[in-house]
Amino acid sequence: MAELQKDPMTRGDFLGFGILGTIVGALLTIPPAAFVLGPVIDVNVRGESDVPDDWYRVGPIGEIPAKEPKVYVVEFPVNQVYSEEQVIEEGVETPGATIDNAVWTSWREEIGENGEAIHRIPSFVESGVQPPLTQEQIDEVTANLNVLSSSCAHLGCPVRWIVKEDGGEFLCPCHGGIYDINGGYVGGPPPRGMYSFTFEVREDANIYVKHEFDIGGDKGPQQPYVI
Amino acid sequence: MGAISKARSQAADAGKFVADWLEHRAGIVTMMEHFLYEPVPKRGAWIYTLGSATLFLITLQFLTGILLLFYYVPSTDHAWNSIYYIMNEAYFGTLIRGIHYWSANFLLAVIGLHMAQVFFSGGYKAPRELNWVVGVVLLLLVVIIAFTGYALRWDQDGVWATVVGMKIGSYSPFVGAYTIQFLMGGDTIGPATVSRFFAIHVWLLPAALAPFIGIHLYLLRRHGVFGDEMEYRERLAKLQERQRLEEYEQYEDDGEPYVGRRDRADRD
Repeated sequence: MAELQKDPMTRGDFLGFGILGTIVGALLTIPPAAFVLGPVIDVNVRGESDVPDDWYRVGPIGEIPAKEPKVYVVEFPVNQVYSEEQVIEEGVETPGATIDNAVWTSWREEIGENGEAIHRIPSFVESGVQPPLTQEQIDEVTANLNVLSSSCAHLGCPVRWIVKEDGGEFLCPCHGGIYDINGGYVGGPPPRGMYSFTFEVREDANIYVKHEFDIGGDKGPQQPYVI
Repeated sequence: MGAISKARSQAADAGKFVADWLEHRAGIVTMMEHFLYEPVPKRGAWIYTLGSATLFLITLQFLTGILLLFYYVPSTDHAWNSIYYIMNEAYFGTLIRGIHYWSANFLLAVIGLHMAQVFFSGGYKAPRELNWVVGVVLLLLVVIIAFTGYALRWDQDGVWATVVGMKIGSYSPFVGAYTIQFLMGGDTIGPATVSRFFAIHVWLLPAALAPFIGIHLYLLRRHGVFGDEMEYRERLAKLQERQRLEEYEQYEDDGEPYVGRRDRADRD
């Protein structure tokens, strides 16, 4: 065997080098590791998000047709690097970066006893919305509204609505994931249906969302990966 | 003797002087001999150029990449615009970026062929296993460099391909979420994403790639191209023996004692 160590090491040397090595090693590795892994620490350890935890306006419910989804684009501000809030305040007129998420909204569709599609559009919406809404109206809208992320549950490409003779379906252009108007899984590679945004409807007859997905069950809201 | 042939012999002398001077101080001629001349099996000799083709394409990547850096701006606001400038305003911008783009594409194809050649000829076998491992590391580095380069375009193609790639990463067991947050620089794609992909594409991975290329070439030279021992070892040994004898005879004729090539160079 090749002899790398010429002088035998004593126990004291070993411990001394071990302790010194640990201290120096920590001094050399922790700062750069923390520097590079900063965002991972912020998100996973400190539970922070780059998008402020606010409600963002999507659009009016009155514009959503009865049998088809309508897409709105929401601009979420992104607090990252030169687009971080404080940097923008301190700096010159640097505009903040945004992440534009397409939000598909539609009225819930159910299949009736005879196989016919029932679109659960509230009657007061169909006859023209008159804000402000009452609490009952808000509840009715909230119960019957789909607020879906355009990001495919497979690998995140933006899905689009394809019109067909008997309605239509959401189709992902990347790998052919298909969903129904409620965002339910129909076919293709996605492991689940489309993600729903955490949303609320306010008196002004507008939809507001947070930058998080309501994945149901006891898991609570989930930060969207990627988008 | 004409003036031309005189100048020619003077130039040859000067060249010899420079080569000798460098050889004495840096051993450069020996090194060049060592690095440049490699016995290659006669059968399928062209197949053995695939490794050099890979090296050539990587060199092209480095050169054109450095040139692109003169105009590229890694920010969400300016990345696309700066590439638009390269493509429409900068002199030969289309050419430089085109070479960067196409040689990146060809690089992956040539690496695949190179690997196939090594695999099917059994070139990964002992004592060359380590070079295969180094080669796989190089392949992974190149793949990640190609992936991170796509995002830097910051157009629809680049961004969505990156989203898909990162989503694939997010399905990794245990570290999926961490990986994706590390790459995005947060929990959403944004300014930090461009900066990180830029740092990884331009600095981190090329810096990692370069020494591994060195190790790859060193190990290649150490063990030789696979197959040369079958056809060449014996023949080379015979050739060297014959050259040695011829030299020895020549010096015997001159009446000088034989002292070997290197010692003679020192004495001159």
